[in-house]
Amino acid sequence: MNRIAFTLTVNAMACEVVAEPRKLLSDVLREDLRLTGTHVGCEHGVCGACTVLVDGAPARACLIFAIQMQCREITTVEGLTPAEGLSPLQQALHEEHGLQCGYCTPGIITTFEAFLRENPKPTDDEIREVLSGNLCRCTGYANIVRAIRKAAQIMRKGTAA
Amino acid sequence: MKPAKFEYHKPETLDEALTLLAEYGDEARVIAGGQSLVPMMNIRLARPDHLIDINGIDDLSQIRLENGSVAIGALVRHREIEHSAQLAQACPPLPAAACNIGHYALRARGTIGGSLALADPAAEFPLMATLLDAEFVARSGAGERSVPSHEFFVSVFTTALEPEEILTAVRFRTLAQSEGWGFRWFSRRVGDYALVNAAAIVALKDEGRIHRIAMVLGGVGATPVRLTGLEQESVGAEASAGWVREISSAAAARVEPGGDKHASAEYRRELVELLLAGALEDAIDRCRGRQAA
Amino acid sequence: MSGVKPEDTARDGFDQIGKPVPRKEDARLLRGKGTYLDDIEVPGALHACFVRSPYAHARITGFDLDEAKAAPGVVAVVTGHEVNDWTNALKMAPPIEGLQPTEMTTLPVDKARFHGDPVACVVATDRYLAEDAAELVYVEYDLLDAVTSYDAALADGAPLVDETLPSNLVSHQKFEAGDIARRKAEAYRVVEAAFAMQRMTHLPIETRGCIALWDDGRAHLTMHIGSQAPHPMRSMLAGRLRLAEHQVTVASPDVGGAFGQKIIVYREEITVAALACRLKRPVRWREDRLENLSASLQARENAVKTLAAVARDGRILSLEAEITEDFGAYCFYPANYLARVIGMILTGPYRIQDYAFEVKIALTNKCGAGPMRAPMAITSLVMDGTLDAVARELDIDPAEVRRVNMVRPSDLPYVMPTGEKLEDVTPSECFERGLEEIGYAAFRDAQEADRDNGIYRGLGMCNVIESTTYGSAFYKAAGIPGSGHEAAWVKIEPSGAIRASAGLMGTGQSYETPYAQAVAEGLGVDPAQVDVVLGNTDISPYGMGARGSRGATAGGGTLFLAALDLKAKMLDIAAALLGLNSPSELELRGGQVLRHVGGAWSETGLGLGDIARTAYMDPLKLPEGMEPGLEMHRAWDPPQMTYSNSTHFCAVTLDAATGRVDIDRYLIVEDCGTVLNPLVVEGQQQGATVMGIGGVLFEHMVYDESGQNLCGTLADYMIPTACEAPEIEIVSQNTPNRRTPAGIKGMAEGGIMGAIGAVNNAVNDALRPFGVVAERQPLSPDYIRSLLRVTG
Repeated sequence: MNRIAFTLTVNAMACEVVAEPRKLLSDVLREDLRLTGTHVGCEHGVCGACTVLVDGAPARACLIFAIQMQCREITTVEGLTPAEGLSPLQQALHEEHGLQCGYCTPGIITTFEAFLRENPKPTDDEIREVLSGNLCRCTGYANIVRAIRKAAQIMRKGTAA
Repeated sequence: MKPAKFEYHKPETLDEALTLLAEYGDEARVIAGGQSLVPMMNIRLARPDHLIDINGIDDLSQIRLENGSVAIGALVRHREIEHSAQLAQACPPLPAAACNIGHYALRARGTIGGSLALADPAAEFPLMATLLDAEFVARSGAGERSVPSHEFFVSVFTTALEPEEILTAVRFRTLAQSEGWGFRWFSRRVGDYALVNAAAIVALKDEGRIHRIAMVLGGVGATPVRLTGLEQESVGAEASAGWVREISSAAAARVEPGGDKHASAEYRRELVELLLAGALEDAIDRCRGRQAA
Repeated sequence: MSGVKPEDTARDGFDQIGKPVPRKEDARLLRGKGTYLDDIEVPGALHACFVRSPYAHARITGFDLDEAKAAPGVVAVVTGHEVNDWTNALKMAPPIEGLQPTEMTTLPVDKARFHGDPVACVVATDRYLAEDAAELVYVEYDLLDAVTSYDAALADGAPLVDETLPSNLVSHQKFEAGDIARRKAEAYRVVEAAFAMQRMTHLPIETRGCIALWDDGRAHLTMHIGSQAPHPMRSMLAGRLRLAEHQVTVASPDVGGAFGQKIIVYREEITVAALACRLKRPVRWREDRLENLSASLQARENAVKTLAAVARDGRILSLEAEITEDFGAYCFYPANYLARVIGMILTGPYRIQDYAFEVKIALTNKCGAGPMRAPMAITSLVMDGTLDAVARELDIDPAEVRRVNMVRPSDLPYVMPTGEKLEDVTPSECFERGLEEIGYAAFRDAQEADRDNGIYRGLGMCNVIESTTYGSAFYKAAGIPGSGHEAAWVKIEPSGAIRASAGLMGTGQSYETPYAQAVAEGLGVDPAQVDVVLGNTDISPYGMGARGSRGATAGGGTLFLAALDLKAKMLDIAAALLGLNSPSELELRGGQVLRHVGGAWSETGLGLGDIARTAYMDPLKLPEGMEPGLEMHRAWDPPQMTYSNSTHFCAVTLDAATGRVDIDRYLIVEDCGTVLNPLVVEGQQQGATVMGIGGVLFEHMVYDESGQNLCGTLADYMIPTACEAPEIEIVSQNTPNRRTPAGIKGMAEGGIMGAIGAVNNAVNDALRPFGVVAERQPLSPDYIRSLLRVTG
């Protein structure tokens, strides 16, 4: 096995990894770094469950080899979670019952942390268009849309204050 | 679904990358955004022995406006094209195509070079490259050559790139003030590949006659299909609703789409007629709008 | 102690039941701290990878495993030749007339029966290496002709999928009530209609998987596996592995969706467990998406033809239904299991007494089928679709046809021709309310005007009778094996900490919160104090698991009963501590014992903690003869069936040029009785409805004529995204069921039943001016165009 040692910056921490070049970022995050909040749902880039942020932009962790991510900043759902309590987006998902089995949820959180920074006041159509990249089999999406709308509102107030 | 073994290379310059490609040839694959290559590797339908990651090469990420054309580096991500103000001005079909590709996260990582080198006949950029008479800049250790779009797309997932070549940039023509464009597609769900897509550029002469025209269809063959014959026949025609119907129906009669689990050939033919008509209507409307402005 | 009777538990108002309490489980799931199967760290665990048949039907003539065994990291490579020696076959042979007995070994050694059939298993030190070695397993095949449709399976001379059977017709039953021939003779017309649902799959976003740990010292297997029904799964595992049930623990972690796919033990999981026992090392397996799409249970692919003898006013005099189903290659369930229920409840909320059905199930060379959320989904499509066919043929308003046939309040309790009893349901109330909310008359006027402008809108209606909680009596009456009982316990620890458990395991249905509410209601405490633990067979009592929308009634109901019993004990203790002769004046609320004196409740100063301490630490103070401790176990077998009901209205616009269907409005009026948690219920209604919409418009598991599965990715098997899912308006009615604890009825599948009917009927309504009718799903644009094309 041609295992190689390299460094990843994940959630603002430098992490030493020894892995084969073919090892997917999703597997390295989960197995080597024990950040199991990033879920694997399809390994072909469609379901969105493994979405993480690479330098702040959303990316499917199953479509990236971990070794490619040296010198990049990776953020997972763990890195978006405050030490105590929940982020505004997490809190809104909780209040609006925007998750059921919860498997797709971390991918939705990472995606919309990025999107709401880019577009702090999205319309429902814009939310749905972005959300269409995250498959959810439980909720029927309406409550997720409602939660994101609510989170956007709260986050806008937060930045205004 | 785990990829087979490979050796990983991360060149810092284009020359380094070309040296690696020259050494490994068809045992190597170049990875840019990886949004199509990695799924294929995960299913082991692609299994390169060497993976050459060009993401660290800086000079492939620029959008440069030149005289009458725009050169887009192979590493430019879909989202940059989607949000590019200069492209919205100079070549609006490209942002329109980009914002229709896949989903938000895929657009953040996928690159125009990757999309074109994949050569999916239903994808947006191959369609636009064919519409906009793109010139593909291919580099190898031996030098650089320019491949026109009608030669670049050879078949499904097959291009004219040689194993030792890297697609470094693509040059699209920009739209003239007199030109209007249209782009229509039909997909089952938002973000899916189109069953059929169509794009057109129209320039009108006095009294609303066709001066210049380009029409292209995707999803109806092994490569995007430029309707060259119909374009020639159209010059001088009056751009009326009747003409749009006529030309779209003629296009539907001429293409030979295939059928698969997503749509029958017959249905695709119907879509050709509808979508081309829509693209032409939009192009004519925009053209008239620009003239009025 | 017999305990509180369910029928004595109805109340006008509850303190905890019915509150929209946000979920307990969110705290971990939102922070990325849930524990799904793959999140369980097992040092030294080996990884399994299965080698699968690339052919639909092929004789296996040889294996060459040498190269794979020599590959890096490989610990074992096995086929059915070994695994079948270590394990028992699955015999599916309940004594049911017309049902052929079948037997399935753990891995096939003679022939592969579908594309994706597992034929060998590689175990290696990691999944990457296991996949490398799996490519080096060589299997020799002799190709056989494949049967890939119901019709082909039953054609003369068709190749046999299961060569131990006389034909591919694996199950065949008939039922008749009343006098069909006479009703047909009396009828004004006999209306024919046909309906077909395509092959689908459940598609949980988390695929299947398991981790098997063998403790060689204790001779004990721990199986971590996402499971809807941990105890039945443990029984099956123990039986297949030749272990006693006490030698097996099934522990279900958080589960990323199941929808019926995670009830049974599959052959892969038996193989992994057997390997862990043999190798004496932990073995784990996570199904990948390709495997999930090709070799996990699939569903539906059933068709129903109806003949309705009708009077001039649209009243149905008799109904005949021919139900057929393509069951795939293997019987993971008795083949009559699903179609039989369809036959039993087909007539739904309509007054039909002269009724006959015939069920025929065929085996084919496709992945085996089984229950998927709302396995009886086609019933509402068939029944309301038949009424629409009657309306079309007789040129009567479809709402009127429903009215003249519907069970009226005065008809209740109404006994269906199959013996099923409808009571405490409100179909006509919900339907009339829906007509009002949707603005039926105004819609029809606008629809007419739009048609003149080339805009084709349609309104679909579907009245759903949702079978929710199946009691044992139902299984018996339907001739399918199974029990409907559920078990629960509630414990209060010496400190006053409260724990509760039931045999069901949630796979995303949000059980933890409503269950805490049911327990809290029963005990008179706050739901936040109640810890609900589910899914571990060493902890939870033996119950039948989460299936068929029984979570609220069977799970919540049994927990409520157990909590009420425990409260009764606590009040007895309180009475003793307060020196009262009887607890009749006492009540527990907010964890405090209250006493009713002089027309008002007053505090006694005694709390739940005092009672708990006494029960455990000071038992001499307990009433005479009372056992120390505060633990209560209840098992409850629900009535034969509880029914919820709903009406779905869907308004669509059909683009005649592309065949595309857009949903403009979606409305549900639903009566699911007493609701434990309206947030959770609404979430289920929305999710189920969107899943139903996916089934009508998008989802289709496609096999080609040679039996190749063409849907190996999520780009091929299309479920709705956020852009295809409509906003859903929900109007609630709450008529309690008189026979269940607190009047709970349950729901979670009706959304699918209603959507499948309402969307389909809406499209046919939109198609009306063209004189064509869609008779099969999915209603893809291509299919709609194929109907319109012939009209020119």
